[in-house]
Amino acid sequence: MRSMKLASLASMAEMELRRLRHDPFEILTRAVQPILWIAVFGSVMARIRAFQNVGDYVTFITPGVILQSSTFISLAYGIALIFERESGILKKLLTSPIPRSYIVVGRALAGGIRASTQYVIVLVSAVAVGVRISGNPLNLITGYLILVLACMGFTGLSILIASLLRTRERFMGIIGAITMPLFFASNALYPIEVMPDVIKYISLANPLTYTVSALRKLLVSSSYDVLQETLILTCFTALSLGVAIKSLRRIIE
Amino acid sequence: MSAIEVRGLVKVYDHKVRALDGVSLDVEEGTVHALLGPNGAGKTTLIRVITTQLRPNEGSARVFGYDVVKNSSKVRELIGYVPQEVSLWSDLSGYENILIYSKIYGIPRELRSRKIEELLDFMELSEASRRLVRTYSGGMIRRLEIAIALMRSPKLLILDEPTIGLDPGARSLVWDKISEFRRENGVTVFFATHYMDEADKYADYVTLLNQGRVVAHGTPNDLKKHVKGNKVLVFFKESVDNSRLSEIVSGIPGVSISNLGNDHVELVVDDIPTKLPKILEEVFVKGYSVSEVEVREASLDEVFIKLTGRRITEESGRIKEVVSMRKMIRRGG
Repeated sequence: MRSMKLASLASMAEMELRRLRHDPFEILTRAVQPILWIAVFGSVMARIRAFQNVGDYVTFITPGVILQSSTFISLAYGIALIFERESGILKKLLTSPIPRSYIVVGRALAGGIRASTQYVIVLVSAVAVGVRISGNPLNLITGYLILVLACMGFTGLSILIASLLRTRERFMGIIGAITMPLFFASNALYPIEVMPDVIKYISLANPLTYTVSALRKLLVSSSYDVLQETLILTCFTALSLGVAIKSLRRIIE
Repeated sequence: MSAIEVRGLVKVYDHKVRALDGVSLDVEEGTVHALLGPNGAGKTTLIRVITTQLRPNEGSARVFGYDVVKNSSKVRELIGYVPQEVSLWSDLSGYENILIYSKIYGIPRELRSRKIEELLDFMELSEASRRLVRTYSGGMIRRLEIAIALMRSPKLLILDEPTIGLDPGARSLVWDKISEFRRENGVTVFFATHYMDEADKYADYVTLLNQGRVVAHGTPNDLKKHVKGNKVLVFFKESVDNSRLSEIVSGIPGVSISNLGNDHVELVVDDIPTKLPKILEEVFVKGYSVSEVEVREASLDEVFIKLTGRRITEESGRIKEVVSMRKMIRRGG
């Protein structure tokens, strides 16, 4: 019975991957922006040497750019549930014997996997412009898993927002309003030390900061000192999924 | 045992709209039971309560004895449900849809591919199974959805407007498949519709719903008797004596005279196919020559009009449904 349930969880991710295979368009168009961040923004900023102690600037922002693009995809994932609410899919899932928590966790996993495709795209384009990242498979895989974990958390947040707002227009409005602040109030583009105090505190409460920090350690400085970040992100994801499960009921009422 | 037992169900949306206003009904195990009523009668709300999606404000609903609120997970194990809206991922193929659902439902791996193949074959979808659902017709979508609902061999199949927006050919194919499956597996079917001909033709029992209340229930024939709707008019070649005419049908049970003219008689008949030959036989035996016979079959719509003063089906509503159904498919539900 337990393995059956796990299979039903994995099937949501499988569904997502099959959709991606039929239509990889979104993933490709989403790659345009991060490539510009790396190739244009990164290389220009690197020339003015605005920040000390960050090493090569393009290398420094590579983990941040991965997050910029994958966070957006995770946060936008909730729209799928709004579509499924308008169609009959959500009704069908909610009347099937699998527990409701599996629907949320399964979809969050699906969203996390969809978003994490940016990991490969950004890393490949970064290496293409001369960024030197760790080639150790263990680092790369650990980094990927931490990214999926964080993206599951952001997808959970997105499912929560979807079940509260319930219309596409309102949902897209809110997502647009929170994505950029989340990105800028983090260590994605600049080190925390240079931030004004207020933004520093905000960035310390921002899960994005811990994901970027973990990826930076694993991919740039080849350090495994990511336990703290992993714990914080696990708490964030567990909390966001927990609240999303509680609120899922409301989406169909 | 009742497959569904609903008692005094009340559902209020947003503290003001009383979608269900004290509904009670029973669905006998092994029967096909239709919930018939116009748009906005509360059919979908009732189905959503029974399928554990909505909690009622008052009253109770049980499925094979299990309460839909307290034992909701047990209820979900017993039912197969097809919502009114399209419940497929249109950007996946038909095969992928049924495969994903089979995994979500936890069908054991060793049974999975055989079961999928059988159901696709049964629903005549094998050939189209590799195509994206986006390219399917409305009838194919419904058949695939029903196949998915049948995959877990449910004891109760609940269909919300199963043929809405389909053309007559697609509608009858959907029903042929449901009937065929029932002959083999004896599943109980509970469906909502606003097509009265469908309720009449396929349901053993019909519950008429209007504005959140049950207005009548019974077999289609019982309901039609209620309005004295089936009529036979017999016209004679020459005028006849009224008093003798009334004797014609006094011996046939289920037939009574509702109107007498000097050259015709209007009869109310409970079952036209079996009673009409008897009536004509009687007429011939008594030596009358008949010039014309007119048969007016009652419809459930007439029953509904008599009970509520409204019609069940409005043509303008149908066009909207077809359009919104198409939109739903295109949008990629």
